[in-house]
Amino acid sequence: MAVNWAETWAERISAFSRSPSRFLSGTTAEAFLAELLRELRDDRATYSVKILLLAPLCEYPTLLCPSDSVGEETALELMSVLVQCPPKSVQFRCHLLLGLTSVLVCTSCVSGRSRASQDFLDLLLQIAQDTSDLHADGALRSLRATACDCLRELEACSPGLLSQRLELLSGLRQRETSRLHQAYAGLHTLVLRNAVYQLTQETGAGAEHLKALLGGNTSVAWEAELDSGPTQDEDPAVLSSLILGPMGTVPTLQTGPDCKELRSVLSSLLEESYLLTAPCQAALLHRLTEVVAMVPGVPPAVFRAQLLRLLGTSEVCLLHTTLLMKCAFTDSLFSAEDEAFILQRLVVLSQHPLLRTPEKLFYTDCILHFPENRPIGCGDGDETLPVLLTPRLASALVPTVFNDSATMLARINLLSLVYLEEGEEGDGEGGRGLAYLYEHLTSLLHIVENGGSRENVVTFFRAAFLFLFYFCHVERYFHSMMEKLSTVYLCHTHLAPHFINLADRTQDKLSESSWAVGLLKALQGVITEAPLAQLTSQDLSRHLKVLARVAEEGEIPQHSTLRFLSSVITPSSSCLCAIGNWRLGNSLLAVCRRLLVHPSLDSLLMPLADILQHLACRYGDTDVQDHARLYYTLLTTLSREKLAAVLAQGSTEGGRQVKKRSLSCIMVESERLTSMLTIHQTEKTIFKLIEAQSEPREGTQTDKGSDLIQNETETCPGEASAALEVYRAQFDVPGFASDITLNYQLAHTEAEDPRFDRLFSIRVHFNLTDNHYEQLGDISVPCLFRERPSPTVQLRLKPRRPYPTTLHASAILTTQDGLSWLTTLPHIHVAFQQAFAPLPAPPACGQRGKLCLFDGLWDEISSKSGEDLDDCATSLFCCPLKEAALIALVEEHFLPYLLSDRSDKEEFKVLFFLPPQSHVLLKIRSEDPVHFNIATDNWQLLRYISSYLLTITSTQEDAVTD
Amino acid sequence: MSVRALWILSHEKGENVSIRFTRRFATVEHRAKILAGSSYRAVPEDNTVLQLLLTELGLSDSDKSYVALRDDCLHRKRLPALELRVDGPGKGFLWPVLAISHGPLTLACLPLVDVPAEPRPPLASLLSVSQGLTLLAGLQTFLLGSGGKPDSEGLASRLAMLPSVLLQVCPLGTPLDVPLVGAPATPTVPTPAGNQKQPAWKTGLHRGRAVVNVALIETVRSMQYGNRSRQDLWDVYGTVTCKCEVEGVLPNVTVTLTLPPNGSPLQDILVHPCVTSLDSSILTASSVDNCDGSAFSGPYKFPFSPPLEPFRLCSYTSQVPVPPILGSYQLREEENQLRVSVTLKLHESVKNSFEYCEAHLPFFNRDQMGVVDVKVSAGQLDVSKEKNLLIWGLGQKFPKCREVTMEGKISFSGQTPGPTDPLCTELTAYIKLYFKVPDMTLSGCCVDQHSVQVYSSAKPRIVTSRELQSKEYFIWNSTGTAPVASGQMML
Repeated sequence: MAVNWAETWAERISAFSRSPSRFLSGTTAEAFLAELLRELRDDRATYSVKILLLAPLCEYPTLLCPSDSVGEETALELMSVLVQCPPKSVQFRCHLLLGLTSVLVCTSCVSGRSRASQDFLDLLLQIAQDTSDLHADGALRSLRATACDCLRELEACSPGLLSQRLELLSGLRQRETSRLHQAYAGLHTLVLRNAVYQLTQETGAGAEHLKALLGGNTSVAWEAELDSGPTQDEDPAVLSSLILGPMGTVPTLQTGPDCKELRSVLSSLLEESYLLTAPCQAALLHRLTEVVAMVPGVPPAVFRAQLLRLLGTSEVCLLHTTLLMKCAFTDSLFSAEDEAFILQRLVVLSQHPLLRTPEKLFYTDCILHFPENRPIGCGDGDETLPVLLTPRLASALVPTVFNDSATMLARINLLSLVYLEEGEEGDGEGGRGLAYLYEHLTSLLHIVENGGSRENVVTFFRAAFLFLFYFCHVERYFHSMMEKLSTVYLCHTHLAPHFINLADRTQDKLSESSWAVGLLKALQGVITEAPLAQLTSQDLSRHLKVLARVAEEGEIPQHSTLRFLSSVITPSSSCLCAIGNWRLGNSLLAVCRRLLVHPSLDSLLMPLADILQHLACRYGDTDVQDHARLYYTLLTTLSREKLAAVLAQGSTEGGRQVKKRSLSCIMVESERLTSMLTIHQTEKTIFKLIEAQSEPREGTQTDKGSDLIQNETETCPGEASAALEVYRAQFDVPGFASDITLNYQLAHTEAEDPRFDRLFSIRVHFNLTDNHYEQLGDISVPCLFRERPSPTVQLRLKPRRPYPTTLHASAILTTQDGLSWLTTLPHIHVAFQQAFAPLPAPPACGQRGKLCLFDGLWDEISSKSGEDLDDCATSLFCCPLKEAALIALVEEHFLPYLLSDRSDKEEFKVLFFLPPQSHVLLKIRSEDPVHFNIATDNWQLLRYISSYLLTITSTQEDAVTD
Repeated sequence: MSVRALWILSHEKGENVSIRFTRRFATVEHRAKILAGSSYRAVPEDNTVLQLLLTELGLSDSDKSYVALRDDCLHRKRLPALELRVDGPGKGFLWPVLAISHGPLTLACLPLVDVPAEPRPPLASLLSVSQGLTLLAGLQTFLLGSGGKPDSEGLASRLAMLPSVLLQVCPLGTPLDVPLVGAPATPTVPTPAGNQKQPAWKTGLHRGRAVVNVALIETVRSMQYGNRSRQDLWDVYGTVTCKCEVEGVLPNVTVTLTLPPNGSPLQDILVHPCVTSLDSSILTASSVDNCDGSAFSGPYKFPFSPPLEPFRLCSYTSQVPVPPILGSYQLREEENQLRVSVTLKLHESVKNSFEYCEAHLPFFNRDQMGVVDVKVSAGQLDVSKEKNLLIWGLGQKFPKCREVTMEGKISFSGQTPGPTDPLCTELTAYIKLYFKVPDMTLSGCCVDQHSVQVYSSAKPRIVTSRELQSKEYFIWNSTGTAPVASGQMML
């Protein structure tokens, strides 16, 4: 049993972490959180399962605690679990501390200095100072370590939180001799860094203040400001690294040369840095670098004693900190020789046989962003070569076919930059280097030719693009590259998409160069001149793809393409027409389609017309025939200008230019048709649903009319049970009063994009986020114009359980240019009170009858609760309200649901009906305080009704006190 | 200096993909949100991340030869930091996603960017990147075990240990350490009360007899072309691995490497973080720089305080004048068969006493081997079971003349085609040598037993050893074209 239970939880937790959204659609975050907390308190649960249960709180605290108040409550719960937990379950207690930290930080309780977060902070400080574990085994000590880590994280997320405790932390760190001193050191350095940062932000702060801060002297006046509670927590500047490179300015604290205290703290930390693990050491050095950068009174030379050890290290993060120091201090810590040495070291590390590939690639990247002492460029994040990187030095990094693809491409990129700088012509270093790169590219091409893997192929095309990107102006490679590639294509037609992609990209990125056109021309040459005898249909379809791309180039003469097309479709050479493959036919048409808009159409007219006519008459597929006939007609009947105008519309890239699309345009598009058929996705939301003022509910409307009748057909109060029976009988009819209708207006959002000003055929689709409601039907809106009033739409919700919910909505629509779009709408939150409906009393029932029903229900609920009506419950809500305020409240919120007479100010009887079959009854007595007696036949609604009452009464109070 | 999320997934060349472990660090995510402001991108759910990661690594849709998102030539995957394009509502880029792979296991994490995100900062400005790399590498080593090979059971059990491992090494997204791979073999005791601070990287203290073990392993790589137009290449790198069982919180040990009088200086020295101090002269020699004769050539002193587990104290590279075995390989195509001629010469400076020495002659892009009519002057010849590889076992010794030859003909007439390799077509072929020589180094570098100093009360037992091994030792057929292995010599 216990095993099953543990397994169930393990599965549920893993289902949650796989996809929290899917998991929560089957329940609510609130319910899941409640369940987790209940299990955590349960004494029968094992601690290993409890650790598992904490995972969702550690990883997704904001999902489970959507508001600060829920976070606060959850934290209090967790803390009580912690207090009750036996000291020996150390692992669980550690995880509890982590969970608490996550919840409190992420729900902004820490930045808001909430009560629970203060308590938690005190608790952590207490654990951190509790050295009674000194003689215990290491396991117990890890609680202290975890507490320190939590403190560090709190300080990292809310900088300055612990500034006042600097002296305490410093003492703890110095006294600790076990491995735990590492945790204290990390905490101490971060608090120090944040405290110094805070001082730099205080005007007039100086050496005295720094001294006071380090000494924990709280008598100095500005202390008050430091402790002024929630201040700059959400300011990203304080969280950012202060090592910014040449262009950044670091906030500074003017102290003069005498900062003995700070120096002594720094030297003590640096001296012991050796005792820390590499990642902690790196973090410590980084933080101290920031401190020294902020306090010009401390010379960067304090780091000198550590440098050799760090430069010789095999640990990537330690070497990285020296680069960061170099970036922060440049020539005030590193001489020109040091600079040359570090660069050389980076080159060595970029190709060191004992390092892992990711590390080597990281070092290669560091070369291109080398923090030079005197940078020439502006350091705007672009890759630049350090001046000291000579071709000779860089030659250690030439690419070879034995490199993995990422390494190879990174090296080609680096070396290209080097040779570009050297000058690529002649026999200089640059020229020879370039020749090597080209030879390397050729070797890669050989591998591709010899059946290299897909990765080889992709790598080759990326390498080729890089080479062209840097060197396509070098004539000797310009042509030979083209020729080589076109020859390879003929034997490897499956590479067609890669060739087209290469042509597209080089044309895009190298708009000045004619290389792409040259390549396409060469491809046209090899395709059209190759003997047709061995042509397979697979090859043909790839050729046609390439030729279609070739036909987009106005500069390339197309006669050979036409000759090729004509020779593949004439019956003597192939049975292509007879087979009538639809796909191939469309590929043929795609080429023709582009030729129709080719600038040299005049000279192509006759052969093109012949081909189209042939296809129209002979091709074995009707669709292709029809298309060909249409093209033929357009070609032979329209003037050139008209033809161009009709077809050009289709050929603009989808999305680049908005044009109205005519039906003929859709017809002639064969390939671009896809842009019309594709549903595009909008980047921003373009419209939203706004809750509209509800129209008067049906119930109240009928009331008015039946007021007259009520006196005649007065029901005796004694027959309440009979009335209830009649009332209940209505529900036997399926679907009776089972839905609620909400009114919304569909309106544009602020974002101005003229494309979306006029929208047509909007179909809004809703997705539920839980299973409390039946799936909603789609809503259609014929049009939405920005300048016209917003149309109203009705959402018909059919509750299974009338709880608050959130709906996700998306819509498909058409814009004026004929494109279809998919857009998402902001989420729709359905509040609890939106599910209220008036009592669906039988039509014959008058006001009195309804009161009768009310009383009948009330009695039933209050008397029978506990018996067959398990779900019944009564409750009381009290709140101080003046009589005027109460009447205003009733008028504003309860009028449609009010059953008692409005003139009766002693007691109001209000009934909310919630589909499918729940009732909430209120008897409101105007006493002091006002009593809201609640009765309901669905106890689960109590939590919602009380929070609803809380909201409306508190706003009423405000309104009245104002 | 923290990571926002961590993923561990396994796959078989892009197939059978599954997420084996994931961890989100909510507080780091909270900081990411504040730091990035309007450019913040939430981390999508795991399945989305998985798909994006596979696309970016070129592993998605393995049945399709071209997928625009995956294969665009403009888009170079910039390992180690990938960029994932997130579609849909939270549209944008997730960067920098660090990813390292070994066999079927891929580990990835998303470091926090704590500098302005626009324009995109260089990796070098983010300490979280190198820390993330250290964390991933540490986890990888832990998961694969010391053998470096993942067996599914061991992997599963180690994955199950990850939550408690992460509690130690990265509880809240900030890496503190890397997981210990194996518990120390000797009993340890927790810290005694004292003034000396215990290093955080030392889990306990050794009790018992002091033993220091220093092993020096040199590895030689070579590309020999047997061609005048192309220079042969070889290089040597060495590693010194220590295992020190010494009492004390912070005991001092010094290991000294020495070279013979005419030895060329050790270059590119990298040391373990436990080395307490370094002389600047030790670091000056570099393989990418012109070596001047006056360079420092030892002795190389490494004072350190050892961790409990075995560790790599230092590594170096060295330029030696000759390769240990010089080979020549010639293939000629003769009517349906290949004439093979091989000579291997052991250099006189190398001790003629191998632990093993084998030459492998693979044949790619051909049918299986049929008749193998090949004679060797020494050693033993085997044909692999798949009939595409000749294995020439040379045993423990070369003959006195230090030269062995192979001559003969091989016909390829098997029914099934052998393995393919796009590099080794036609006469492009190689011999790969596998050998290990105990008790010698090519550079002449050695650790003298008496030079190991241990400052502790008890006299320690000191064991030193050295050996030479080959790796990527290729001899290319000189009658065919051979790929360039390094441009350095060509330029």
